[in-house]
Amino acid sequence: MEARGYRAHLAAAFLALAGSLVSLPAWAAPVTLNFWAAWDPTKSDGIDGMRQIELFEKSHPNIKVNVQVIAFDALHDKLVTSVVGGDAPDISWGLVEWLGELDRMGALADLSRKMAAAPEQKELYPNALAALTIAGKLKAVPNYIGLRALLVHADMLKKAGIAAPPKTWAELLADAPKIKAATGKPAFGIAGTGVRTPQELIMFLAQNGVKIAVPTKDGKFYNDWAENPAEMKRAAEVFAFYQSLQTTGAIDPAAAGWGYEEEDSEFAQGRYAMVVDGSWMSERVAENPKEMADLEIVPPPYNTTPATFFEVNPFYIFKGPREADAWQLAQFMIGKEYQSAVDSDRSPRMDVTSNGIWGKNFTTLTPIGVVFPPVPLGSITQSMEDSVGRVLLKHQKPEAVAAWLSRAINKALRQSGELGSS
Amino acid sequence: MDTVQSIARGRSAAHRVSRVTTVVSHRRRQMPLIAWFFLSPVALLLLALIAYPLLDVAWESFHYVNLTNPTATGFSGFDNFETVFQDDDLLPAIWNTVLWTGLSVAGEYVLGLSAAVALAGPIRGGAFFRAFIIIPWLIPIVVAGLDWSWILAPDYGVLNLWLVHLGVLSHPVDWLGQMNTALLTVTLANVWRTFPFYTISFLAALQAVPPELHEAAALDGAPAWRRFWHISMPHLRPVTLTLVTLHVIWTAVNFDFIWVMTAGGPLNASTTLPILIYRYAMRNFDVGAACALAGMMMSAMATMFFLYRYGTMGLMRPRGRRLKTGEA
Repeated sequence: MEARGYRAHLAAAFLALAGSLVSLPAWAAPVTLNFWAAWDPTKSDGIDGMRQIELFEKSHPNIKVNVQVIAFDALHDKLVTSVVGGDAPDISWGLVEWLGELDRMGALADLSRKMAAAPEQKELYPNALAALTIAGKLKAVPNYIGLRALLVHADMLKKAGIAAPPKTWAELLADAPKIKAATGKPAFGIAGTGVRTPQELIMFLAQNGVKIAVPTKDGKFYNDWAENPAEMKRAAEVFAFYQSLQTTGAIDPAAAGWGYEEEDSEFAQGRYAMVVDGSWMSERVAENPKEMADLEIVPPPYNTTPATFFEVNPFYIFKGPREADAWQLAQFMIGKEYQSAVDSDRSPRMDVTSNGIWGKNFTTLTPIGVVFPPVPLGSITQSMEDSVGRVLLKHQKPEAVAAWLSRAINKALRQSGELGSS
Repeated sequence: MDTVQSIARGRSAAHRVSRVTTVVSHRRRQMPLIAWFFLSPVALLLLALIAYPLLDVAWESFHYVNLTNPTATGFSGFDNFETVFQDDDLLPAIWNTVLWTGLSVAGEYVLGLSAAVALAGPIRGGAFFRAFIIIPWLIPIVVAGLDWSWILAPDYGVLNLWLVHLGVLSHPVDWLGQMNTALLTVTLANVWRTFPFYTISFLAALQAVPPELHEAAALDGAPAWRRFWHISMPHLRPVTLTLVTLHVIWTAVNFDFIWVMTAGGPLNASTTLPILIYRYAMRNFDVGAACALAGMMMSAMATMFFLYRYGTMGLMRPRGRRLKTGEA
């Protein structure tokens, strides 16, 4: 009897010890989330963002956020290699162009259920969420949106006797010689190289009713221009438009070699009249107040279909043990407080808008925004950039360039295993 | 007795000799082991840092390795090589590599030799110029590349400004943005940065030429160019061979200078093989194709240098034999 009592005491002590060990995590050290951000810590979004992160840490004492600032130029390669090396951050900024790639790597958490239960869902632009959804599963949440509008130096147009900014490509091409004659400066700006070139090309293609790839029945994608002569013709018209911009002197002769830095700085310094650009140009007003004083912002000109590039910059949440905590941080950052403080001009929330020209003039364009298809885009965006170079630098025929790009896109889709059957 | 003693002495000497021989042969047997013991850290380092990566590149060039496509795995046969050969950019990249390497090495050689000859003579402030000329080579490649990009920029670059002011150009030229000027411009910048290395090497070799050879030739009435050609140039041959061989390798595999200035553009006009390898690996994340191209490039260069080495040895042997037999 005594022995039985002794054994019972021993078992109780063991259970108590085991119970205390099991409950240890509840009061263990706080979780530290690795958060990679691409903001500039010296500028307003970085300063406000860090302030908000501190508020998050105060309201979530069990979560610490380790913010690492990485420039966009380096972020993609670092993300891919960190995922391959099994050391991905818990949550990161990124470009929507990387969605297909990161998803194929199996790196992204499925956020569909969490978002469905979150009150933020009904406040976010539906097409922003749609742009981050693959096969019905939400794979990221929108950080900010970067719609593109036509930025105009109104004084240059007035000097040329032009009453209103162009609404169509034809008007733009007709205005160009007048602006050149009156001001000695080109009418329009494009980026001939770098990450912005494919963004502009996909916008011009959409403005002529063309898509770079369409979904197929097997859930993959395919460029159908070769099977659809009307589509191929419209794609060729886009490249002909690029050529016209060059031959009529509507763009600077050096624009074929411009990246986004040159495109933005040349416009901010008043060296040409119009550009399709984003709301980040508001920072240039402070840097070039005199040259940017005559700024107007209107919808971009188009050919057959009103369209603009819809840049949805997401927060990627990576699969791992801290997924739930990372979701809490993401949910906080798509909340009204954070968005109002950090991204009021470019918020993906419908209830956070700024009435200034950098707010509503852009967000009203959301319904006509186009995005890249959710496939690995590395070779595709490179081919799109090359196609613009073929027109502007090699002066190849628009029809030949359109046919080449169609083949290049399907080749890239085949290599990435995303080519659907036509 | 004497005979016995002498035999005993002889035996003892023979025994000593035999012992010494045994010790020496024992030490000789041990020597390789000791040598291996001391060499093993370096050997391990070479195996880890050179042999293993080389073998890994060879292995992965025959396997599907794509960082962004985890489903693509296994033996690929020659698929990676097929990907490389089907790439429209391969032939232009090979041509660009040849052009970039040939023009760079030739330009560096001519400029380096000219500067060395100019500085070898007794000129005022020679020491200052010798120190001054090394500056481009001391500038890190990325800094030099960025500096040149700014100097050459069409809108704010100082070179265009000067050329337009001097009336050489009617309007600024986008040197790095035009297909027909991009590679040549980067090559010129590379020549500017690298020629000082040639200059200091040639200068050292020129200063080692015995002055009496020049004096004797001058007394015989040989003009300066003939003395240079027949006395200085033969003395420069060993250093020339070393410099050119090393710089052909270094230039052909150079990545950073082109990447910083043009990133291989515009429209692949300055894409060389290392840029293409980088693009496969870090843009398309197709490590298999990148390894296939890297392996092919390394094999081609190794073959070239083996042919060159054994070709040169073949040419040297008959001359050596002639010298030995006194035919020359």
